[in-house]
Amino acid sequence: MEDVFNYAPAIALFPLVAFVVALTFGKYMPKKGALAGIIATGGSLALSVLMLVAVASGEVYHETLYQWAIGDAASEIGADGIEFTFGILIDPLAALMLVIVSLIAFLVHIFSLGYMNAEGETGLPRYYASLGLFTFSMLAFVYADNLLMAFMFFELVGLCSYLLIGFWFRTRSAPSAAKKAFLVTRFGDYFFLLGVVAIAATFGTVAFAGDNSFIAAAESAIDNGDTLFGFGAETWVTITALLVLGGVIGKSAQFPLHTWLPDAMEGPTTVSALIHAATMVAAGVYLVARMFGYYALSPTALAIIAFVGGFTALFAATMGVVKDDIKQVLAYSTISQYGYMMLGLGVGGYVAGVFHLMNHAFFKALLFLGAGAVIVLMHHEQDMWKMGGLKDKAPITYYTFLAGALALAGIIPFSGFWSKDEILYDALIIGLEEPIILAAYAMALVAVFFTGFYTFRMVFLTFHGEPRSEAAEDPHDIGWSIKAPLVVLGVLALVAGIANLAPVAKLAQIDITFLEHWLDGEYGAVEGLTYSAYGELLAFETAYIGGEQLTVLIAAGVSLLLAFSGAGLAWKLYNVPEPVAHKERLGSARQTLESNYYQDEYQVWLAEGFTQPLARAADRFDQTVIDGVVNSVSTASLFSSSRLKRIQTGLVTNYAALLVAGFIGLLLVLGYVGGWFL
Amino acid sequence: MELFELPAWTALAPALLLALTAMALFIIDSIAPDSRNSGLLAGTTAAGSIVSLGVAVWYLLAGVGTPTVDGGRGVIDVLGDQFVVDQLALFFMIIVAVVTALVAVASYDYMEDHTYQAEYYSLVLLAATGMSFMAAANSLVTIFIALELASLPSYALVSILKDNRGSVEGGLKYFLIGALSSAIFVYGISLVYGATGHLQLTNIAEVVEAGDADPYGGLLGLGILMLIGGFAFKTASVPFHFWAPEAYEGAPAPIAAFLSSASKAAGFVIAFRVFTEAFPVGETASAIGVDWTLAFIILAIVTMTLGNFAAATQNNVKRMLAYSSIGHAGYALIGLAGISAGGGELVMGAAMMHLFVYGFMNTGAFLFVALAEYWGVGRTFEDYNGLGRRAPVACFALAIFMFSLAGIPPLGGFWSKYFLFTGALEAGLLVVAAALVVNSALSLYYYTRLVKAVWIEEPVTERDALSQPIGLYAAIVVAAVMTLALLPLFGPVADTAVDAATAMLA
Repeated sequence: MEDVFNYAPAIALFPLVAFVVALTFGKYMPKKGALAGIIATGGSLALSVLMLVAVASGEVYHETLYQWAIGDAASEIGADGIEFTFGILIDPLAALMLVIVSLIAFLVHIFSLGYMNAEGETGLPRYYASLGLFTFSMLAFVYADNLLMAFMFFELVGLCSYLLIGFWFRTRSAPSAAKKAFLVTRFGDYFFLLGVVAIAATFGTVAFAGDNSFIAAAESAIDNGDTLFGFGAETWVTITALLVLGGVIGKSAQFPLHTWLPDAMEGPTTVSALIHAATMVAAGVYLVARMFGYYALSPTALAIIAFVGGFTALFAATMGVVKDDIKQVLAYSTISQYGYMMLGLGVGGYVAGVFHLMNHAFFKALLFLGAGAVIVLMHHEQDMWKMGGLKDKAPITYYTFLAGALALAGIIPFSGFWSKDEILYDALIIGLEEPIILAAYAMALVAVFFTGFYTFRMVFLTFHGEPRSEAAEDPHDIGWSIKAPLVVLGVLALVAGIANLAPVAKLAQIDITFLEHWLDGEYGAVEGLTYSAYGELLAFETAYIGGEQLTVLIAAGVSLLLAFSGAGLAWKLYNVPEPVAHKERLGSARQTLESNYYQDEYQVWLAEGFTQPLARAADRFDQTVIDGVVNSVSTASLFSSSRLKRIQTGLVTNYAALLVAGFIGLLLVLGYVGGWFL
Repeated sequence: MELFELPAWTALAPALLLALTAMALFIIDSIAPDSRNSGLLAGTTAAGSIVSLGVAVWYLLAGVGTPTVDGGRGVIDVLGDQFVVDQLALFFMIIVAVVTALVAVASYDYMEDHTYQAEYYSLVLLAATGMSFMAAANSLVTIFIALELASLPSYALVSILKDNRGSVEGGLKYFLIGALSSAIFVYGISLVYGATGHLQLTNIAEVVEAGDADPYGGLLGLGILMLIGGFAFKTASVPFHFWAPEAYEGAPAPIAAFLSSASKAAGFVIAFRVFTEAFPVGETASAIGVDWTLAFIILAIVTMTLGNFAAATQNNVKRMLAYSSIGHAGYALIGLAGISAGGGELVMGAAMMHLFVYGFMNTGAFLFVALAEYWGVGRTFEDYNGLGRRAPVACFALAIFMFSLAGIPPLGGFWSKYFLFTGALEAGLLVVAAALVVNSALSLYYYTRLVKAVWIEEPVTERDALSQPIGLYAAIVVAAVMTLALLPLFGPVADTAVDAATAMLA
């Protein structure tokens, strides 16, 4: 089995080849590059599954492929030299993520046949080329074996999402949304870069795994009580970890850098599916999971992650309640769901966070592709108030979408329930000891109610009741290429929870937590990158309400109750033949919610009210002081030049006099210094 | 093993060949006194200088001057150490021969209708002979004789346009200042002789090192200072520069090129040789109480500043180039200012590199002025407006010369200036390095002004198509190609220069 790892580079290279092929020959190919992309991502999927099987058989892969720079500067902890390399690390986490990413990318490519090709879009070679590059960047990011390589591909992922969000660049809104996505995530990545530099300068290594990883170096620095850059080792680790977290918050659209994500809906819906489920947004949370050992060293950083996650989960869910555009609702649900993952990771629930990442990838891809199908059905109408009654006209779309919705809302037994419940359970047992985690837990718990509500509001408005427009009465046909991915993902949304039925395992005392074993290295594992290794680093205490089993029951029961009541409220309000808007009942809250808590406004105000005057002041300084100095230097030079010219009088007697005078002057200086006259 | 060994005196062949060619021209002239066969005359001159160049390069490659321990043939003494042929001498013989050849080729067109052509070419060759001997002279007497041999034909050459007031006036001023400077120089020689009892450079050094000159410290110091005066005259350094703007402006442009490139280089080679060989820094300082480098530090700063600042607002192109030439003398003086006890080969090597590059770019620039005078377009910047459209090749070459003179990477002028800069920093001469940077920045102003005039400005008056004189064009193109070719060739040139400097300072 070991030999299969030799093919690991090909996982990422296939889509790269597809990128080149689609870009150069796409115009002349029958499906404008789609086939190249499908074959490439299919190949990546097959290889990824092989990697998964190899890891399951107990192998792992950690290899440096190319070393592109060696420095000899000593780092802060005293290690000599630093190497920058490209390498591949395939451990259980990476293998799992490779399969998820290549599967979603593969399905999105197939779906695009129906969504883009069949709808007669132009610029398809560019579309497929960008998709290929996007997939390449994400896959390479996933199995990067060091932080710098991860950063490079993280940036490339950002670039590709810019290209794809702005795919319809002739509209007004798409280029602006693309720019916004690029700039907002870049703001976070700026801190990420600082973090990479700080980690490299501190530990002299950027490797994720192995004896000389920065995680191991940080651990020993903390054990030795070193002082790093004037801080205690733990404080410094917290600072660098939070710097890297800046990139995570930007990419995973966590508060306050979440504002780009709803606007990113300007891209094709297929791109949204890819961005939300498997690539761009997932990259942030994946990075935290990838270097979880580092975060585990810093309880402060973890608590911040947990709190930001819990807050974002609630914050985004409330905004999703009042949206009328089907894709907007999904966008806010994404922000909210990634908040859950952050909460899970922040409370040390490494398995729970990764579990939800996986489940979310399936059901969010499903929901977006389902929304894409609805948009095709509705002749490119996205306003839910103009839909209705699609249930009977497009049963496959309805039932698969419903599966995704149930998973999103966290209704038993769909996948979303299991992972969300595990996150909430992990948060609860730690929250009982740590008040700040308890607050994060409470917010996430309330968010469950809102999730249930907006999810089913969306389902009922779209599929139930009477058709509310001509398009809804006479929907467009959809082909197999749209239906097939929906069915695959619909099944996964239903059954993926089996991977880790933790509550059942705890209640029934049976050993069915497969994902936990997987991530704990019962199969193949890289030393130090396992759940139990992380657990040893964690400094959290846990407590239970009257025993473990009772706590499990209470946590699951409360979250289910809230999910059902949210869904039930939506059912009562919107599952009627002629639903009406109930926003007026929200009163003054409505305006705040519809304006997304004025997040965009305050960020625009920061740009216009603060950055712009600062830039103007700098410009004025440049124009007056700098240019003034430069101009006056040149004026002074030219003036002294015109004076100096006059020494040359044209009279040779003057020259002789000046020559002798100059010589005597030189003589006096040298004679004085040399003491010739004494 | 070589098949045969040449006698020692043939080591001076590069200089002797130039002298022989001058004699050949005399013979030609006496056979046909009224001949205006400029092809024959210019061709003979060019051929003689190219042969001289070839021999000098051959010697250098054959290992003359390379220490015998490194597999070379060592330094060759001629006439009982009165002359010495080493890497330094050969390096500067090459510069002189190259510039002479370029000037001869360019003069073919420039002097076409001139009456005294044979005289012109033989004077050029005699001056070149003097400069070539300056490179090898190893005693204050031979140095003075070689210097005068270079100077006297130069005075005549500047004023060779007898009907031109500027030419005659420039020549006279050059001669008068030259006479004064020679007087100071020869007086300096007598003082050094009085203090040390020797004229041969190594003998002077022995006396100084032994401390026998210490009682006459002031005398020796004054003598050294007067020697510096003589070098400053030859290199057109402040305050002995006053002749330069008028002589360059009045002289035929090829002669201005010749004087500002070859003559300046020859002035530097004697300065390098005298000060590294006869007056070792440390020992001399204990004798005269002050490092003589101080004089060169002052001269370098003042010369580059005055040259560049005065050049900035000139309206006459030739005069601008004259002042820029003074400025470049200031840059090359850093090579002497940066020498210290036990160090300075890099900075001196850098100065040699700069003079080498300068031999091409400055000669080329003056030859462009010669071309403009040949066309009769005028003398000011405005007169040059829009030439780029009529003569793109020559104007492209001009742009190369100007940018290289300004020190824009990646041209040759950048690299030599860069080495001067780092050398000055290494020697701890922060003020000098700063002056170099400030002056280079200022020089960019007036060099680009010329490039802007020929390429961007609209012509003041419409002009007809310009002729393409073959000799001038060839010389300009060769100079431009060499300025560019110095990019890949800079390594060997730099190595040779630094080797030569190391040998001198060892």
